[in-house]
Amino acid sequence: MKSAQVVLGVLSFVVILLTWEAAVRWGWVNPFFVSQPSAIAASLNRAARSGELSHNIAVSFREFAIGYGLSVVVGILAGALAGRIRTVEYAFDPFLWFLYSAPLIAFYPIFVLWFGLGVPTVIALTFLLSVPQIAANTLNGIHNVNPGLIRAARSFGATERDLLWKVVLPASLPTVIAGLRLGVGRALMGVVVGELFGATAGLGYSISYYGALLKTTDMIASLVVVIVLGVLCTQGLSALEARFDAWRTSE
Amino acid sequence: MSYRALVSTLTAAAFIALWELLPRAGAVDPRFTSQPSRVIAAGWEIIRTGNFRHDVAVSLAEFAIGFSLAIAIGVPLGLLLGRFTPLRYLLDPPIMAIYATPHLALLPIIVVWLGIGMQSKIAVAFAGAVIPILVNTMAGVRGVERSWILAARSFCARGWDVFLKVILPGSLAGVILGIRLGLSRAVLGVVVGEMYQSQAGLGNEVMRYGSEFRTDYLLFDVLLISGFALAATSAVRVLGEKLWTFGK
Repeated sequence: MKSAQVVLGVLSFVVILLTWEAAVRWGWVNPFFVSQPSAIAASLNRAARSGELSHNIAVSFREFAIGYGLSVVVGILAGALAGRIRTVEYAFDPFLWFLYSAPLIAFYPIFVLWFGLGVPTVIALTFLLSVPQIAANTLNGIHNVNPGLIRAARSFGATERDLLWKVVLPASLPTVIAGLRLGVGRALMGVVVGELFGATAGLGYSISYYGALLKTTDMIASLVVVIVLGVLCTQGLSALEARFDAWRTSE
Repeated sequence: MSYRALVSTLTAAAFIALWELLPRAGAVDPRFTSQPSRVIAAGWEIIRTGNFRHDVAVSLAEFAIGFSLAIAIGVPLGLLLGRFTPLRYLLDPPIMAIYATPHLALLPIIVVWLGIGMQSKIAVAFAGAVIPILVNTMAGVRGVERSWILAARSFCARGWDVFLKVILPGSLAGVILGIRLGLSRAVLGVVVGEMYQSQAGLGNEVMRYGSEFRTDYLLFDVLLISGFALAATSAVRVLGEKLWTFGK
């Protein structure tokens, strides 16, 4: 990253926070609607001390980990199967296409009927939202392995197993990880929206709870936590993606 | 029919057949899974009675306004940020932070700001759609070959000519991709916004049918919304390809 990029990037956050704080202090806008950074920091501090914050994060994280973990396993298996066997790919095609582009959150009330209100429904929503992305990227990753590489490995006597571990896997890994990264965003959406609609704890629940009480400061504080976690997860997987893609640029 | 189409059609048909036959055979409870025939019957019922037309009109209006606003603001801003590097460095971090956030988490605060009427759904649809449109337009502009711009310049093209004849067509693919991604997020925003807090609209119907345990009705609305999203996304794709070949 260029230094100008870093400086300007930090500057923009500082300017936003200062303008926000000043606009409220000088009475230009009503803090009831927008709150103010210092009050939000105080609210986060209070929630952190009382244990409320860590409890909410733990609840949301558990739902995220189960839903997303399931979709990583199922998505990669299904994508790999479809990537290696033609007929399976064609069979999955209509379902994957539907799941990929339909507004799946609209199925939420059905999940409530199936799993009841609360944690299992949130997990199901998280799984359903993230699995198509992971499966589609795994499939694409395997399809886009350079056939020249496979032929070259074969002519040097590679077995199917060598081919999988030494050629197909490393070559498709960056695309698979990109799928995992996009899947994180969609899984987070599932957790937060699932909790908005019906839950007794979690970050989405606290956004919705404080919203209903019109406690803007506490609501924005929870929102800030969600934003920070989203950025951290996405950045972490981007770094991983770059790491596994490094061989490609060095060839 | 190609092998691909054959297999896809067969599995889709098998799914629908199982969905119809399993409840009939008593293997699953149709109150939970519904059936294709029941969904169609429910659809007929919904279309003939009740507030269906009003709800569709409300949802469509919210979608159309929010999505058009997102295009009207996202595309020009994306073009601008793509061209002016310092401005991009300044605005990139907050835009990326919003991009990484589940935009529907903004629902409760938007409801506090704008109430439970149409405005809040328009705002959620806008907020969902504008970021992918902006980001992809920006990427499209940055993907325009520098040599094209230099070539146009050396043939005495002025700033405006370069913009209209090189940068705009060159970034079209990114713009169309952004619009397509934004479209599904706008649909989602409207529906989920209505499911969260509303007085009318298809999302409102979905939530109501859910709480009344009317699976057949619920599924008809959900499939209708999905069908709309699929059709609109495909339309943008086709339009994009038409524009693309025209531009060449």
